[in-house]
Amino acid sequence: MSQLTFTEDQRDALQEIINIAMGLASDKLARFLNTFVYLQVPAIALVAASDIPEEFAKRYQDQESALVSQGFFGNEGVRGEAIVLYRMENAHKIAALLGYDVNDSSEMEMLTDISAILTTTFLNGLAEQIANSLSYNAPRVLSSRQTDVIIGLRNTSCQWAHALKVDISYQLVDHSFNCDMVLLIPGEAVVHLQHILDRLLDHY
Amino acid sequence: MELRLLSSPVLAQLNSGVLVIDSDFRIQYLNAFIERHANVSLAAVRHQSLFRVFADLPEAWLKRKLMSVLDLKTPAFSSYEQRQYIFKLPHLRPVTSSSAYMAQNCTMFLLEQQLMDKPLICILIEDATDAFVYQQHLNDTLHQLEIANRQDGLTKVYNRRYWEEQLQHELLRAQRYQHPLSLLLFDLDKFKDLNDRYGHLGGDFVLVELAAFIRTLLRDSDVFGRYGGEEFGIILPETPLSGAMEVAQRICAAVANYSMLFHQQTIRVTLSMGVCQFDSHVHTRHDAFIRDADVALYQAKRNGRNQAVAMPLSGVIAKTP
Repeated sequence: MSQLTFTEDQRDALQEIINIAMGLASDKLARFLNTFVYLQVPAIALVAASDIPEEFAKRYQDQESALVSQGFFGNEGVRGEAIVLYRMENAHKIAALLGYDVNDSSEMEMLTDISAILTTTFLNGLAEQIANSLSYNAPRVLSSRQTDVIIGLRNTSCQWAHALKVDISYQLVDHSFNCDMVLLIPGEAVVHLQHILDRLLDHY
Repeated sequence: MELRLLSSPVLAQLNSGVLVIDSDFRIQYLNAFIERHANVSLAAVRHQSLFRVFADLPEAWLKRKLMSVLDLKTPAFSSYEQRQYIFKLPHLRPVTSSSAYMAQNCTMFLLEQQLMDKPLICILIEDATDAFVYQQHLNDTLHQLEIANRQDGLTKVYNRRYWEEQLQHELLRAQRYQHPLSLLLFDLDKFKDLNDRYGHLGGDFVLVELAAFIRTLLRDSDVFGRYGGEEFGIILPETPLSGAMEVAQRICAAVANYSMLFHQQTIRVTLSMGVCQFDSHVHTRHDAFIRDADVALYQAKRNGRNQAVAMPLSGVIAKTP
């Protein structure tokens, strides 16, 4: 497991699949939210799990943030966790975005709603590309306080050594709302994903 | 074996609700779980509007969720942590749970099917009452812990750590908004004699009684804490020295006239008090503020106890013989 690497072909194929999924998701989102969704090219990297807590800490330093996690699993051993990170100052913009009545739903409920929409639209697009289909568990608010999150991640990261990390930034132009989505696919599932990529590559 | 034959008895026995509606939100199917809990029958409600049959549903909210399922073809969720329930159903713990209705985790997703031209949405309802109850117990316990963490075990006023934290906050606030802030530090006179005469139980009794009595003399915004042994502190926000002296003298007089009954013996005590107003030039740290109040308290003792002495703003106390 410590020798987890992608061949150049595998990496190119994965980047392409993710880019397409991203495009599908943003198109759907833009239609649903009636706004323009600005996307950056997703960054993929194989990372050591032990580095992840520090990275989150660095990225969300000095900011009140909220984390929402949603697990997913599919056929052929594909599984992972999607984490959506928000800066709390952004959270109140979500109501307007989703057309929610502020008195009707709590801020945390809106966060889980938008998280579910962001992650599942993207992941369904991804699954479609690799002829898979995914199931999801309910999104959970991990924490609205930064310190808790880091401690939480430290406690979980020991269960796997390496992971595939996909970083995606969403920015909704009309609402000046943005958030980050981090897709983490643990080591064992990466191996399964590599088999799938190899099979796709054989077709071409 | 025909697998389809298995699905209906399993659906009937399933301890979760399964409900299927079409894109016009008309009920197409509901399983026995829902039939029994909601006291409806599928035959009677089939093809009827979901929102007619379950009139308590949060209609606007749920429609938005269902629309996202139809439009995006992605699942939608609702957790008991954010919304205790969607369907107002009774639960199976009427005795041991504090909630009246079943706490629910719900999942709404599109049913993939080629046979029908209209899309169907499945709503799964999981009973999360047990988790909800545990969560409530946990929250209650955390709340109690939080109180215990800032309370003095004996006298139930704030403990020293919390009280000093509050003093630091008040200092910052007074500095920022240029509001007056005063501090009372007091001590029971001749507490050692009291302990010698009535024993430590008697001494503890006096501390408890007195703390409760003094609390009745304070405003809600005053912060009352036990500084150590028989020494207490009261933070008086929004109060200049003159007002603080009035409070101090009122407490001194009231305590001197207050008698406590311990094992058929009447106990009376007096207090010595040091009073000080916050001065941002002198009190750069909260301990300097406490130190000045302590100087005034010491002077009250030297002056013969049972009195309050103010630390003048100049920081020098006139010597009394």
